[in-house]
Amino acid sequence: MTEQKPKIVGFCCERHGMDAVVLAARSGKQSDASVRLVQVPCTGRVDGLHILKALEDGADAVFVLGCLEKNCYYDTGSIEGRKRVGYVKQMLSEAGIEKERVEMFNAASTNAWAFPEAVAKMVEVARKLGPIGGGERQ
Amino acid sequence: MKAAVQVVFCKCCTEVPPLLSMEKLTKQATATNLVVSVVTADAVCDGKDVKRVVAEAKNKEVDRAVILACSKKDFNPALLEAYKRAGINEFLVDVVNLREEAVLPHASQPERAQAKAETMLKAAIDRVVTRSPLQRQSEDMKTKNVVIIGAGVAGRAAAEEAAKAGAHTVLLEKSGRSYKAPGVILTNSQLIAASGYGGNFQLKIKAGEKVEELGAAAVIVATGGGWTTLKGSLAKAVKEALPLYKFHEQMQSGAAPKGPVVFIDTPDPAGKALKVRDFTWDETLETALELKKKHPAVEVYVVFQEMRAMGLTELAYKEAAELGVRFVRYDRTGMPKVDQKNPGVVTVKDASQDQLLNLRFGTMVFASNPMNEDNKAIADALRIPMSTDGGIRRGSIQRGPVSTPRPGIFVCGSALFPKTRDVAKEEGEAAGALAGEFVKKGRIEYGGVVAQITSEKCSACLTCVRTCPYEAPFIGVASKAEIRVQACQGCGMCVGICPSKAIELLNFTDDIIGEEARTLLGGDF
Repeated sequence: MTEQKPKIVGFCCERHGMDAVVLAARSGKQSDASVRLVQVPCTGRVDGLHILKALEDGADAVFVLGCLEKNCYYDTGSIEGRKRVGYVKQMLSEAGIEKERVEMFNAASTNAWAFPEAVAKMVEVARKLGPIGGGERQ
Repeated sequence: MKAAVQVVFCKCCTEVPPLLSMEKLTKQATATNLVVSVVTADAVCDGKDVKRVVAEAKNKEVDRAVILACSKKDFNPALLEAYKRAGINEFLVDVVNLREEAVLPHASQPERAQAKAETMLKAAIDRVVTRSPLQRQSEDMKTKNVVIIGAGVAGRAAAEEAAKAGAHTVLLEKSGRSYKAPGVILTNSQLIAASGYGGNFQLKIKAGEKVEELGAAAVIVATGGGWTTLKGSLAKAVKEALPLYKFHEQMQSGAAPKGPVVFIDTPDPAGKALKVRDFTWDETLETALELKKKHPAVEVYVVFQEMRAMGLTELAYKEAAELGVRFVRYDRTGMPKVDQKNPGVVTVKDASQDQLLNLRFGTMVFASNPMNEDNKAIADALRIPMSTDGGIRRGSIQRGPVSTPRPGIFVCGSALFPKTRDVAKEEGEAAGALAGEFVKKGRIEYGGVVAQITSEKCSACLTCVRTCPYEAPFIGVASKAEIRVQACQGCGMCVGICPSKAIELLNFTDDIIGEEARTLLGGDF
């Protein structure tokens, strides 16, 4: 049963990211319900701390969804977001945690497939790796 | 402060009620003591329901609200406006997108969708309670000036449109040529420095020998392409070759061309320094056709790698071929070359007939040009990004096709990338209309969700100053960073990057984001 319900947190920017989520839903794309979306103004707002805290609070995987890098509403926001994600990945691998648990995705507001694809990928990662530390989820 | 929250359910979307149990959600909402009023509306986009909801809010002395409906962008702003009039702060009203986040994508898993919706409601109530009421401020624009850099086709079109909206247009023209356009034209002038933010820019302009200060509400960049510069191996071999732009001007003035004319798509056929642009096909066809019509005796060759005429310009291709313009297609196996020993002849392999041709020419015309070299200085002065090939880069398409990432600065015409006159004119009109609309408002609104600095924690490391694309943070008199609130767009990039954690984004603090993630993770779905 626990295998069926991984916990995934998605930090999603209010601009192209959120629009892609809305468009995906309207296009009739089905995605796994285990994703918790947290809206941020821009992926540049996402701090490494937020990702690490989410993992600490019980998330199996965390992803960040932002604008395309050359089409970001705040110009360089999604590039900053990618840098933070890369930094967290490095920290995780130093701590002995699989760095695949954290990922950055980019979407244009017209990409209906981007969000379901991101969810599918993260769910696969979370199912494969299980909870952090290999323990049973309560 | 005691919070009193109103929760509004919208039943408008037919997908929501059959999948989710409204009773359970209502029960969960009323279980929290902070929620004083729960209203179920048939459609919050409907005027009657808006009145009912707001009357209930006034009755129960509500100061925050959570609306469970659809996407915030589709949502009827009438309810938000009504809340504002009822004295509820606009930043304390939150819309939860139940339809697109919980219902539509999880239609096959109703139990999980229900649990997700309940958790989302809980998180939204928590979020709205922890947020603080913010105020938006406004500032008057000091001038109605719209400064347009470049008085070319796009610049003049922009001036016409901006003047219609009542803006005072000032055109800066690099050359000494004066054009007919509304407003003022400053010839021999260029932009050297700029400061400020959308609505109140301070520009430094070099007009002739004098350096002048000029206030501007909006700036339009219409520098055009590098029409007169040539770059590439063929341009080096043929010194007297002309760019298409110049050739067209000469032809318009009535001068007869010298000898047979060869149009080549690019002076750099190997494509190392210069790419062939799509506008060249249309412009070449039209110029060649015009030339053949004016001087039927002159031999005209069009040497090209591929010819992709757009739209109705294909008819020009047909007409030109019928009038006797010779089209020679080449590819990488036999690119056009000019031997130094025989300077009046270009050697090219015709790819469609696999035959080496020696074309004797009197005039050689190149269609592709590099980007305008002034773009760099202008982009540096206005702090707007450039594309990799030397043009001005436009901002996100959500801001509009002629907008830069900075509000109040617009870009049009060949400053973005080379294009035909018609397209440049239309872009100019669009940029002019947008700038006019921007200036017409007469004041700028700012504030709300913006960054705020705790001076005690700041170590003045300049990280925020370098990161911000809008120049909002600056080092103030006390050697600590400060935020120019008028310029802040509320993206929070400086907040995430600050190594001392001295900056926070109002209503999106680390605590609020972390707490929301924790609440959402607490749900079992």
